Amino acid sequence: MQHVAVPHAQPQQRQFNPYSENGGTILAIAGANFSVIAGDTRQSEGYSIQTRYAPKVFRLTDKAVLATNGFAADGNMFVKKVRQRLEWYRHAHAKDMPLRAIARLIQTMLYARRFFPYYVYNILGGIEEDGSGAVYSFDPVGSYEREACRAAGAASSLVQPFLDNQIYFKNQTPAPGTTHPAHLPLSHVLSLVIDSFTSATERHIEVGDGLEIYVVLAKGSALQGLDAIQGLSELTTTDDGERMFVIRRNLKRD
Amino acid sequence: MFLTRSEYDRGVNTFSPEGRLFQVEYAMEAIKLGSTTVGIRTPNGVVLAVEKRVHSPLLESSSIEKIMEIDVHLGCAMSGLTADARTMIDHARVTAQNHSFTYDEKIKVESVAQAVCDLALRFGESVHDEEAMMSRPFGVALLIAGIDELGPQLYHTDPSGTSIKYDAKAIGSGSEAAQSELQDKWHKQMTLQEAQILTLRVLKQVMEEKLDQHNVQVAQVTAEKGFEILDETSLKSVIELM
Amino acid sequence: MDHFPLSWGRPRNDAVDAYGTFPIQQRPNHGQDTFSSGIQHTQQPIVTGTSVLAIKFKDGIMMAADNLASYGSLARFRDIKRLHAVGEHTVIGAGGDMGDFQYIQSIMDELMIDEFAAQDGHALGPAEVHNYLSELMYARRSKMDPLWNAILVGGFKDGQRFLAFVDLLGTTYSASTLATGYGAHIAQPLLRRAVEGREDTLDAAEAEKIIEQSMQVLFYRDARSLDKYQIATITAEGVKISESRKLETSWSFAEGIRGYGAQTQ
Repeated sequence: MQHVAVPHAQPQQRQFNPYSENGGTILAIAGANFSVIAGDTRQSEGYSIQTRYAPKVFRLTDKAVLATNGFAADGNMFVKKVRQRLEWYRHAHAKDMPLRAIARLIQTMLYARRFFPYYVYNILGGIEEDGSGAVYSFDPVGSYEREACRAAGAASSLVQPFLDNQIYFKNQTPAPGTTHPAHLPLSHVLSLVIDSFTSATERHIEVGDGLEIYVVLAKGSALQGLDAIQGLSELTTTDDGERMFVIRRNLKRD
Repeated sequence: MFLTRSEYDRGVNTFSPEGRLFQVEYAMEAIKLGSTTVGIRTPNGVVLAVEKRVHSPLLESSSIEKIMEIDVHLGCAMSGLTADARTMIDHARVTAQNHSFTYDEKIKVESVAQAVCDLALRFGESVHDEEAMMSRPFGVALLIAGIDELGPQLYHTDPSGTSIKYDAKAIGSGSEAAQSELQDKWHKQMTLQEAQILTLRVLKQVMEEKLDQHNVQVAQVTAEKGFEILDETSLKSVIELM
Repeated sequence: MDHFPLSWGRPRNDAVDAYGTFPIQQRPNHGQDTFSSGIQHTQQPIVTGTSVLAIKFKDGIMMAADNLASYGSLARFRDIKRLHAVGEHTVIGAGGDMGDFQYIQSIMDELMIDEFAAQDGHALGPAEVHNYLSELMYARRSKMDPLWNAILVGGFKDGQRFLAFVDLLGTTYSASTLATGYGAHIAQPLLRRAVEGREDTLDAAEAEKIIEQSMQVLFYRDARSLDKYQIATITAEGVKISESRKLETSWSFAEGIRGYGAQTQ
């Protein structure tokens, strides 16, 4: 009788995995007196599109916007907790939390969960107390830094090199006698953002459906051609502070 | 019918029929036994000054510590049971450090004053069947001086857990005379030096001993240098200017 | 979403083709996990329900689920209710572990009683129920002790339609057509084609037709499904969950299939 060799499998792990990955991409760019924070609106798991509209860019205060990417449940819960902390702070200290304080708060909140992390990449954009546009980027356990631009999420490996080249002018030599600008004008930044997302939509299956671009303008700065952009709506609540806008656009749905 | 006063001053959290908390009121009395302490706010900073009672010639006057630092931008002067103040200042320091750790910014003066007041009201509190952490109210009042984004500020906190902002405030045994003197002499555009001199003049009026650099202590909080206690030489030069 | 409830909440394995049939259909094998050495509330779904479908239509939400609860590949319970009314404005429908779902039903019933007892003039609507459920599901996943379900929440309150999803990870989303489990693969594309852009014009009869056809396709394709199912309709009039009904199916085409299995000619 022939002996059938039963492959002796390893004891099967029935481990519950508390994380998932929900695709999408986010991006933020700081200008001299503005900040642009954007994200697509597709939420997916594996090859399935769960929904074509799940926002992952959130307005926190009159001058701070947070974009989250990674595991959507963690992202939503994290934003909820940050907002709760912002409100407590407002009650305790009678002011809105400054951008740099929000950045540090996010670090402490992420690091507090060092051993069961929020599986989320955060990008915080807005206006600093000195009126400059700012972008802070974070890893899931709270390492953070202030930068001029950052892309994160599914298509970050496609978008970040593009931004390195177009914002930081990496691998570009300035014409003799000239230098690269430290900050780009708003209209230029907006076209870079739109190009980034249309390109990412072409090449990455998890990116598409819709695009939300938040723009925060420092106190007293001009519209800089923003009013000509299609799909724009204003979210500003005060007359004498920063102004906030959102641009909603369609991306390809395939 | 009505119970006498003495029967309502046992429990720290028992109101009298007239609506008073005697233990808290007694604690306020303890402050009136303390040495006089003065604080003045100016557009350029806040000045704090205290009288040090040197009971004995054998006493090392520099060991009397009645002005303490809370953070680089915050200082505090006390009157009353100064030992109690250590607990409060410890709490204020931890609160300030926690704030800058979590928010990467200096804590506001008002927030520190509020944190101290929160602690001041925790007497008689107990969790489950455990002993209360604090058995009685603090017997000390603080003048908290500091500078934040709203400019130089001076706060007064007392054992009832109340914090009030002042332009100039005196506490302790000579506070009544000192306060009316401050009311006369304080004006909006005082320089820091004028404030230093005024604090010392006010102290001089209420002190029994002759005022010199050993029996007073002066500190200030300025935007440039933050909190600092004036050393004997600079204190001496201010005294000479009086 | 993976159509094997056993795979839910486990890492995806892109090295395995979930649709591959040669040499033998494989399931993603998850051996080494970051947390595998930690404390394990080892568990898995036991008695499972398959797809739930839901769509928006002109007057509200329509939802459907069959009456089967499977024990592995055994069609164990054939009269299980997988649609459950929560209050006057909401229906929840679940796939995944039916024990966990019945536990959730008892929690929701208790919640609605507590809310009713308050008599404060506030009634929980579908949005509140969904938010409560998502907090519950996320809290349990964070304890590494999940409720092994994918749930659709549909409702109508204050003139507003509501349709959203929540699963064992606490993942939430909303769309005008939703489907769990196998339905997310098979029915969702059909529902999207039939509903998207027509949410405000579809009437109840048309919506029912769409749902019925999708349930029929699922019954043809999903081995863990049943031809007995219920439809819930939530409109301004309130919640209506139908009696169990039978799918009309035709298998005569099977006669004509050539090329598989034993054939006489």
